[in-house]
Amino acid sequence: MKKFYKLFSYSFLFIFSVNLSGQNSAIDSLNNKLNEIVITATKTERVLSSLPLNVTIIKKEDIQEINANRLSDVINEEVGLITVSDFGGGEGIQMQGLDSQYTLILIDNQPIIGRLAGTLDLDRIAVENIKQIEIVRGASSSLYGNEALAGVINIITENPKKGFNVTLSSSIETHNSLDNNLSLSFKEGKFTSSLFLNSYSSDGYDLNNNDELKTVNEFSNKTLQLKLGYEINKNFDIKLNSRYFVQSIENIVPNNLSGETFTTEDNLSLSVHHRSKKINTDLDVYFTSYYGDEYLKDENDIKVSESFYDQILFKPEIKSTYSVNENDKITFGLGLKHESLKRTFFDVDPKQNSPFLYFQYDYYLSEKINLILGGRYDHFKDYKSQFSPKFSGIYKINDDKSLKVSVGYGFKSPDFRQLYFNFSNSSVGYSVIGYNVYENVLNQLIEQGEISSIIIPADEFNESLKPENSLSINIGYNFSLNDNIKFKTNLFNNLTKELIDTRVVAIKTNGQNVFSYYNINEVLTSGLEFETIYKFDNYLKFSIGYQLLYAFDLDALDAFNNGDVYARLTVDSPAFRLKKSDYFGLFNRSRHMGVLKINYDNLEKKLSANLRLRYRSKYGLYDSNSNNYLDNYDDFVNGYITTNISVNKIINSSLTVSGGVENIFNHLDRQNISNLSGRIYFLRAKYNLK
Amino acid sequence: MKTIKFLTITIILIFTFSCEDDNNIGVDTISITVEDLHAPLEGGQGQSASGPFTKFNFEDGIQTNSETNWDIAFRGTSIIVNGGISMDTVDEPERNGNGAAYIFEGTMNEMEIVQTSLLVSDSQNSYAIPTGSGNGWYTYSGPPNHLINPTPGKILVFRTHNNKFAKVEILSYYLGAPENPDALSDQSRYYTFNYVYQPNEGATIFD
Repeated sequence: MKKFYKLFSYSFLFIFSVNLSGQNSAIDSLNNKLNEIVITATKTERVLSSLPLNVTIIKKEDIQEINANRLSDVINEEVGLITVSDFGGGEGIQMQGLDSQYTLILIDNQPIIGRLAGTLDLDRIAVENIKQIEIVRGASSSLYGNEALAGVINIITENPKKGFNVTLSSSIETHNSLDNNLSLSFKEGKFTSSLFLNSYSSDGYDLNNNDELKTVNEFSNKTLQLKLGYEINKNFDIKLNSRYFVQSIENIVPNNLSGETFTTEDNLSLSVHHRSKKINTDLDVYFTSYYGDEYLKDENDIKVSESFYDQILFKPEIKSTYSVNENDKITFGLGLKHESLKRTFFDVDPKQNSPFLYFQYDYYLSEKINLILGGRYDHFKDYKSQFSPKFSGIYKINDDKSLKVSVGYGFKSPDFRQLYFNFSNSSVGYSVIGYNVYENVLNQLIEQGEISSIIIPADEFNESLKPENSLSINIGYNFSLNDNIKFKTNLFNNLTKELIDTRVVAIKTNGQNVFSYYNINEVLTSGLEFETIYKFDNYLKFSIGYQLLYAFDLDALDAFNNGDVYARLTVDSPAFRLKKSDYFGLFNRSRHMGVLKINYDNLEKKLSANLRLRYRSKYGLYDSNSNNYLDNYDDFVNGYITTNISVNKIINSSLTVSGGVENIFNHLDRQNISNLSGRIYFLRAKYNLK
Repeated sequence: MKTIKFLTITIILIFTFSCEDDNNIGVDTISITVEDLHAPLEGGQGQSASGPFTKFNFEDGIQTNSETNWDIAFRGTSIIVNGGISMDTVDEPERNGNGAAYIFEGTMNEMEIVQTSLLVSDSQNSYAIPTGSGNGWYTYSGPPNHLINPTPGKILVFRTHNNKFAKVEILSYYLGAPENPDALSDQSRYYTFNYVYQPNEGATIFD
């Protein structure tokens, strides 16, 4: 199999270096800048610069010039966004200091599912067929409901261009990582269609040679996307969009055990759009399923462990936008979400139907002032229904300056794991019980004689678990000094309440704890985002981004204030009381993060190059001094910079060849940073056939 | 049965300054560091625990095999007192003294007066020093490090089998009390702790 891939990619590299014909991507990029249209922020088409929300667009050219393979590669180059590895190896996004589970990820406006332990692995998503990525920072539940607590990322895939187009690209990287893409598109008259194929595979790598485990195991995955469209008449069109993803990861663990982690994902949506002078209506029916299976077997091929995860989401939604006049718009939408999950460690197969409706009023008070008021109601049976309002406004002081404010409510429902889990760890002996099955499972354990004492009685579980929710405020100020220097700043403050955590609810006869979930923490993340772009001349462009972040658990702040937290300087010295200023904040949060990009673009020589630096200040991963908090006396991961370089040369109108190095200075922290594997070289070829 | 490794006892400070308090007539308090007291455990990790407890006597500052002349005893992360009722786990010794305990939150120096009303003995359902991470003296870090470390700021206050008092600060659960223990390579179930013993019967003040 592997050899086939190699052959496949090498043949791309060499065969296509002979061809000529095509288009000029640089001119395309100039045209695109004039009409940066965003759909995610309002569920209607809006010009980016006029939006009162904190929105960023990453365009196709931006993705291509850095030669990204997966969505995580792109996200890590954005101000204030990073991906953080979870213990399962998934790369989840951290936005405005909030965890991966609080950012909604959409592909073509539809949500992606399959969050194992909360993380949605961004490595699942290929980027070659992406038209643009829209990032809305700040709570957006007023339009999107569940999960849009920190923000929304919407991946918009490419639409077919006129005629018949073929694009092939292939890259080879260190660790024998191969990425191959094929895009076919066809548009003729009323009919459009496109097919996208991606295959990505890697040998993985090992940062720690002392054990038998690999840091990243050998894997391969494939993505297939098919889009069909038909224009019934001028006002009426219909689209079918489907995507399929399959991945296999090889598992090798000590004691001669081996196995596989297998994942498939399906997305299927059917959309009907009707446009008239005053009213636009969209009907979307969306179905997605995510299936994961993981097993280990011994040398005699006998399975020693197996777990599976089988989730589906079905979501019909209808939305109408009424144009009151040229600018003002009223949007109404309603729909239903049907979710179900079957998995290991569940005694029940939970299902949930949650109807929702939303409205939005997009209003121009004057030419300079635009206000958007919106709200959404999500009805839940198993926990408190949610109403999520949002208000935002922009004041265009003049052509160069604008001030924006947005205040919104965001929420994340308790997931099925938090409600229905029934898990006992076989090596250590502790148990975790979901909130809604607490009484039943506890009674089972009592009957089996496994409980020695109950700390939290079952009747404390009578009231349902509440969704986690946040009030998010963003205040932005954008200004352009002249055509060449632009600044963008944003202050953010997210107060998140009713966070769901585990607590000890009973003690087992083996001395271990029984955990269940409850609403407890309040977390505050606040900070500043700053971006500036400076066009030095026609060739050189500099951009700098910076995020300052304070992320605190408010209960932890109280504990430090009250003097309830202690530490030791050395293992044999007595404990002492910590001060308020010794509290560092949440785990895995860096106070400072920055990106610096230098782009060189020479149209005459058809050469472009870029140098990108990414900085992350120190952060803590573990409570190394065992006082349950991250304080200044804990061990920290040192701050670091990674440097990437990429060069793109247009050989002729159909062929572009790229190469580069990621992590040039080979920064490594084998213990703590599992997603940095050292220096990576890559070579890429892209071929367009018109 | 595993051989119990011998334990070293270092007496750091035997005599502190004599006390003026009425409560403390006679002998001064004694401060001792115990290193690597081995507390083996059979079973555990989801299985029922067994194996003899490692008994300790505060007055002598050493491990003991005596059936009666012991104050506290260790097995894995469990600590029992010689007072109250046995939970009847396999190999658990009978209680025949007047031992009791509670956990004081603070530093060793701040623990000055024993609050006798807080003292509890072991019972059929639970030990005076609760088991489980975060409930008693230790914090289990969970994956990926799987470390068991003493929670700083937890001072264990004991009444001995014969009505004297001691305060204990546990420092390490790993052999040799390494500065950065590694749960995979360092041997666990070796207690290193500091304690202050008040040898005067009924005296509740340490200083």
